[in-house]
Amino acid sequence: MASDDELAQLEKLSNEWEPEPQGPLVGERKSSSAITVEYANADPIYRIKTAALPQKYAFFRTCRGDGHCGWRAVAFGYYEALLRGGDANKLEEEVVRLRSMNNLLNSIGFQEDLYEDFADEVYELLRRLAASLRAMDGTTAALLLEAFNDMGRSMAIITYLKLLASAWLQNHEARFADFIIGYPSLKAYCQHNIEAAQCEMDHLAMQALAECVVKAGGLALEVLYLDRSEGTEISPYREVPENVANPPTIRILYRPGHYDILYKAEDFAPPAQQQPIPTQPPLQVALAGYTEEFVPMASHLSDVMTLIPGMYPPALGQRWPSLSYDYNSSPAPVPTYAPAPTPAAPVTSSHQDFASPVHASYAHHGAHSHHGIHLEPPVTLPIHPPPPMSLDRGPPLTLERTAPVERGGPFRPSVYELEPGFGGCGQPHAMPFQTSIFRNSHYNTAHFLNPDFQPEEWSPDTEYATGNRGRHKSTSQ
Amino acid sequence: MATNGSSATVAQRLQKELMDLMLSPNPGLTAFPSDSNLLHWTATIEGPADTPYASLTFKLTFEFASTYPYTAPTVLFKTPIFHPNVDFSGRICLDILKEKWSAVYNVGSVLLSLQSLLGEPNNSSPLNGQAAELWDNDPEEFKRLVLARHKTPEELDAEAL
Repeated sequence: MASDDELAQLEKLSNEWEPEPQGPLVGERKSSSAITVEYANADPIYRIKTAALPQKYAFFRTCRGDGHCGWRAVAFGYYEALLRGGDANKLEEEVVRLRSMNNLLNSIGFQEDLYEDFADEVYELLRRLAASLRAMDGTTAALLLEAFNDMGRSMAIITYLKLLASAWLQNHEARFADFIIGYPSLKAYCQHNIEAAQCEMDHLAMQALAECVVKAGGLALEVLYLDRSEGTEISPYREVPENVANPPTIRILYRPGHYDILYKAEDFAPPAQQQPIPTQPPLQVALAGYTEEFVPMASHLSDVMTLIPGMYPPALGQRWPSLSYDYNSSPAPVPTYAPAPTPAAPVTSSHQDFASPVHASYAHHGAHSHHGIHLEPPVTLPIHPPPPMSLDRGPPLTLERTAPVERGGPFRPSVYELEPGFGGCGQPHAMPFQTSIFRNSHYNTAHFLNPDFQPEEWSPDTEYATGNRGRHKSTSQ
Repeated sequence: MATNGSSATVAQRLQKELMDLMLSPNPGLTAFPSDSNLLHWTATIEGPADTPYASLTFKLTFEFASTYPYTAPTVLFKTPIFHPNVDFSGRICLDILKEKWSAVYNVGSVLLSLQSLLGEPNNSSPLNGQAAELWDNDPEEFKRLVLARHKTPEELDAEAL
């Protein structure tokens, strides 16, 4: 029998034990299809919800699950959203604005000499990022990532946000006091649940930060709650600043107990579409670096990628669509499925299949369940000799650049395009094709899977010119 | 846990705290780095008046990790003390030294909390069950055991030799 002392020692050890958190404090940006893959074997609610995720949120970035990830995600998102605005002056204005909030901190009784270390770290990073933006030295994104992966510096920034959140709540006691249950006062609640060094961000803290840091800084905050609630999409929650048009948005993915950072593809739209600010190029460089990094990863993931809605097996010699909004424009993978009559495992690799005779049939699309939506009953296509395919795919490369513009921005092929009658109802112009089966097959040059895809010939007018939003509407009529 | 570059900030922060304690000393509290190591401090608190610990002096040690102030310092009573929330090895059960630690606490605020813990023990989760029971039921005996267990700093130093 162990002595009391030994037992106490053991108890202490077991109380203090926690799994060593893995990974960087803030990771690199990745394709959010990885989230879908992660949940591929989860229960249906999660599966359906995460399946819809990559279409709307193309990228994500992990935060280490060490109990600070919510704070870290918001803090990182704050800096990153400011950078996305591209205005170095704005970052310096933020230093002044945050400094002015010292009064708020003092009013709660925080000692300035204790919190100024944390605050200085926050200002310092803002200033360094502003200088880097001005210099256009292309290191801005790397600076930010490096700062957040330094434990001391990121903890200082997180601590500053905690103190701000606590002070904000206590300064608006009338609004927040009713949310406190089980604590003698809002102050006690804040001391235990917000100021404590080891506590994850809760709803009240999130609300406080949304108000005093994000919205007051001219940014928007979007939190997606991935939980087991009803519905097929992840429920979003938005805080948008007043009087700011198109604010840069911090997007946070919440899964019970953990926060990560999300991005929409258009968050990284070409600079030409944003305000013409000369300080954009560094961001573009970061994007290019990312693209190259992603390609090798795709080869590992290509099998599971086929499970993801909107993703198709990469064809031979084709670059994996590393940016989702490029996808539709990249050379269409001529359907490469083996002509198996029964539903095949969805992980059939495309590379060998490519050499086999092409028997494109929608039955296959259905069987592979590439889409979360049910397709038409199986339709067998009239088999023609497949059109000669060139493996080097020279011409489509030109499409790659033009197509995103024609299709009106970030967009990947929609399942609706495959449906008979799609876009046809009430269209004045005559279709040059006789049957809906042919019209919707990839033998039609207007079909996005056709190697000689020519969308403009097929849809010269009406809503096609307005981009893809009109398309969805037309099919839902 | 990565500690890159943080030990410099620990030293910075502790120097600032030391300066603060020397410039505005609190009655009944002292704290100073022991030896040349800034991560290791010795402190004393005086028992508050109107408590069984009145006029007694207690010696404590502080140890700061390289992650300070984001993790609590390890604080131990070096003077033997009979108290519901301190065990016989001097380990302390106080929430702000554990999960409720916050980076805005410092040596001074910890000492003040410990001083008030002497007068207001938390008897719902005692480390010393006998002390908790006597505190509630037999103040006389409690006081006797406090005095019986206590040693003055001089006696402690003599023992250490």
